[in-house]
Amino acid sequence: MNQPILFLQGVSKEFKTKERTFAALKNVSLSVEKGEYLAITGKSGSGKSTLLNMITGIDHPTNGKVLVDGVTIGELSESKLAKWRGQHIGIVFQFFQLIPTLTISENILLAMEFVNVIPAAERRNRVTELLTQVGIAEQANKMPSALSGGEQQRAAIARALANNPEIIVADEPTGNLDSKTADSINDIFSTLAQSGKTVIVVTHEKNTALKYQRIVNLKDGEIELPTL
Amino acid sequence: MNMKLKKTFSDLLISPKRTLLVVFALVLGIWGVGTVFVSNFILTNDLNANYQSTIPTQLILHSDQFEKLDMKQFNNRPEVEMAELRDFSLQRIEIYPNEWIPLWLFGVDNFEDMKIARIFPETGKKIPDAGTMLMERDCKHVTSIDTGDSPRVRIGSKMTELKVSGICFDPAQAPATQDAFIYAYTDKKSYSQITGLPSNQRMIVRLNNVHSADDVKRVSDVLVKDLNAQGITISSVEIPKFNEHPHQWQLNTLLFLIGTIGLLAFIMGAVLVSQLMRSVMASQVRQIGILKAIGGSQFQIFQIYIAMLLLMGLVAGIIAVPLSVLSGNAFSQFVAYKLNFNILTTSIPASVYAILIAASLLLPVVLSVGILLKGTAISVKEALSDYGISQNTSAGEYKTMKKLPVSNTFMLAARNSVRNSGRLAVTILAMALGVAIFSTGFNVRQSLYNLLSNVKNEMRYDVQVVLSKQVSREEALRPFKSLDNMKLIQLWNGGRGEIQSKLLSTNKGAGIVALPGNTELLKMKFVKGSWIAASSEIEIVMNQQGWDIYKQPAIGSELMLTIENKNIKTRLVGVTEQFEKAKVYMDIDKYDAIFNPNHLANSIMFVAKTNDYESVMTLKKNIESSIETTDFQVLYVMSQAERVKIIYDHLNIILMTIVFLSFLVLVVSAIGMASATGINIMERTREIGVMRAIGATPKKIYSLFVMEGTITSVLSIALGLILSVPLSKLAAIFFGNLMLGKEAELQYAFSPLGFAITVVVTILFGWLASRIPAKTAIKVPTHKALSYE
Repeated sequence: MNQPILFLQGVSKEFKTKERTFAALKNVSLSVEKGEYLAITGKSGSGKSTLLNMITGIDHPTNGKVLVDGVTIGELSESKLAKWRGQHIGIVFQFFQLIPTLTISENILLAMEFVNVIPAAERRNRVTELLTQVGIAEQANKMPSALSGGEQQRAAIARALANNPEIIVADEPTGNLDSKTADSINDIFSTLAQSGKTVIVVTHEKNTALKYQRIVNLKDGEIELPTL
Repeated sequence: MNMKLKKTFSDLLISPKRTLLVVFALVLGIWGVGTVFVSNFILTNDLNANYQSTIPTQLILHSDQFEKLDMKQFNNRPEVEMAELRDFSLQRIEIYPNEWIPLWLFGVDNFEDMKIARIFPETGKKIPDAGTMLMERDCKHVTSIDTGDSPRVRIGSKMTELKVSGICFDPAQAPATQDAFIYAYTDKKSYSQITGLPSNQRMIVRLNNVHSADDVKRVSDVLVKDLNAQGITISSVEIPKFNEHPHQWQLNTLLFLIGTIGLLAFIMGAVLVSQLMRSVMASQVRQIGILKAIGGSQFQIFQIYIAMLLLMGLVAGIIAVPLSVLSGNAFSQFVAYKLNFNILTTSIPASVYAILIAASLLLPVVLSVGILLKGTAISVKEALSDYGISQNTSAGEYKTMKKLPVSNTFMLAARNSVRNSGRLAVTILAMALGVAIFSTGFNVRQSLYNLLSNVKNEMRYDVQVVLSKQVSREEALRPFKSLDNMKLIQLWNGGRGEIQSKLLSTNKGAGIVALPGNTELLKMKFVKGSWIAASSEIEIVMNQQGWDIYKQPAIGSELMLTIENKNIKTRLVGVTEQFEKAKVYMDIDKYDAIFNPNHLANSIMFVAKTNDYESVMTLKKNIESSIETTDFQVLYVMSQAERVKIIYDHLNIILMTIVFLSFLVLVVSAIGMASATGINIMERTREIGVMRAIGATPKKIYSLFVMEGTITSVLSIALGLILSVPLSKLAAIFFGNLMLGKEAELQYAFSPLGFAITVVVTILFGWLASRIPAKTAIKVPTHKALSYE
């Protein structure tokens, strides 16, 4: 077994409105090892996205703490957290979220520029490598709007890999794609996991989940049954 | 290229219209401020430089015994920087057939060595030939007389022709166009031959170590005492405004005016830029979330938007800076033409360009830094879950609104209007400020018109003849007994304007007007107290300028006046509002009893039976013809209509500027409103899609947004008109002080025309400001509106 790269300890998250307080996560503890290929599943409203937000530092727990590679991310300032996230976690969104005014390669270069860990001279080559890796090298200079949904998601994966993070987190990455395209995207994640990346994917598609190394099923904000 | 910079460029091109609007707003703001800055730089330097280039007179002494004075010795006195003799008398010149105006004729000691009050030759002879004169160049705007012409000049009672041998420039004089004077210069010998007056009667002096009019007064007292001791009696002393051009007040008014409006245009531009940047940030919320999610720090993202602002500022600067220099120069040229001085500034210093460019770059950053900091501080989670503005109307408010007898569209529009109460407040305030300034422009204009109207109303005579030498009452009336269209003649001593102040004034320079206490020909507007009454005391009324000279004594207080070296005890009973030089009004019988035992008169006031313009002008010409047969020494013959025109000409430049600039402010604020509506609509694009999807017609959506715009307009107009009342009062006080003298007030006036124009223009602008973005909104297809993020 590898050492855990991600560790959630007693994480709870409450959302308060005028009328009521809603517990999205209830005392969740989770350990993810380096190189693990993990699916987080559950019905709508079960807390999947909230859990993902805890892992990426997009949101902070009401109670408990999140450690990624030994760093308690709740203790980082917003700016440090942004840079840390860019370096250590690659995020893939359901709706791709590419910057519409930049070309595909520029979207990737921007992520490198922000974090500044890849030497400037190597960035262009790395963009080509990444786009080749996800199979859209020929689309490098196109604007996102010129690409299909699947191609845009591949580009988003390439951007998530821009700074060579240890962890890739994807929120319903195939939720907006047809099944054939979704399969090809899942294949990319699988390949990334095989190459040693820790890949955590939120999905509500049970069939897809079967392909993962481990499935964490959430129900009403609690981990229902960890499965190997 | 740096990807952050690339994104900056790309984002600017997403919505070219919005980018252009920001640049336009910046151009307006920078142009407004830049124009003020450039013209202020040129005008403050150049009017003063023109004036100072003449080596202006600080002290004028009158005596008929200067021939006894050793000028060389006098010039060597430690208090005296330099002194020379420069005679002066008021004559009349015919500018067109039977049209006469005052001629200020100066007798110059030595044209080749004018040390004080210098003039500058322009065309024709530099030194007038014997028996000829040089005319001041501004005369060309009131007459067609030119070099080589020999206009008729009335010298006292005799008529002569006086050849013009050249045109000169005297930047120390008030412009001839505004005062309807002509200035002319001849040599000392010719002066005596032409006027029949002795020369060397007037000395102009500059003093050492004087820094104010009080200093000049102190030194002049010493000089007069010493001269008297030498047997040279000084008959009168004049102390001109210290180191100040006679029309400096006009320039000050204009500079203040353009300064204020430029600043307001800048504020409006600022509000507009910040509104637009708020819109940019609102549209970029989700992207900011993504940028943070992929590793961008707040500072890095902030840099993208700062670069965006700097780029827009740079473009705005490239457009606005040359425009500012052009318009600043043009405005300066316009003012210089009106005030008769030369623009001496040939190039704007690099520092002015540097300040303008720095302002262009820094202005948008300073204005929007708060918005950018707030916009980029948003957390990833908030940014990614942002779907535009929220609904803040509470259920209670909703129920209250439902009870009102208004249409559903109005109710929905009203509720939408308050969804972003901060933005609504800024929009309404900005627009209200525009409305208030626009309305204030009209109100101040009305105040000035009222002042003119008061001038018309207060002087109920139609033509006035002013003599430089008093004549007996019988003599004064004789030539006019058989004139047609004449209802009444009345005799006074003294009258309006500076010329009459020169003839008859107190030792402090307030002109005396001695007139029948029960006259019906003068009905002034009183600021304090009332008109003189039959009394054993010498009651006096002062205008605000005179009251100011005497340091504002209380009504009813006793006041010692010195007139023709005699001290008299008077009682102040009233203070009037006038566009006039300082004046003191008193009963002619009381004046005659002390100063005028032979009951001589110098002002002949005529009232016409029919007083339409043509009839009065005919009467005036008949009066002129009658005068030709007399040996009267006439200063001028002027109709009321002409006098009102002279005053109007003094104010016209200010009136025009007020209305034009206040309109500009209203336009800028309307653009601000349009941008705010545009932002509202853009943020609600998805909502528009939903409304369309559930059946709202484009017409319904359009009318909803127009209704929202109308609500904002109406609220802005209401607030603006309320604000305009104190603003107009303040403006009236300020302009009154500038034009009528310290402590003098221009009375606040409400302009019904201005009110109507303000309401119509604001509603029109408000309608356009909401119509244009609303039209754009309904053009977006439903599917695109629904997928808008």
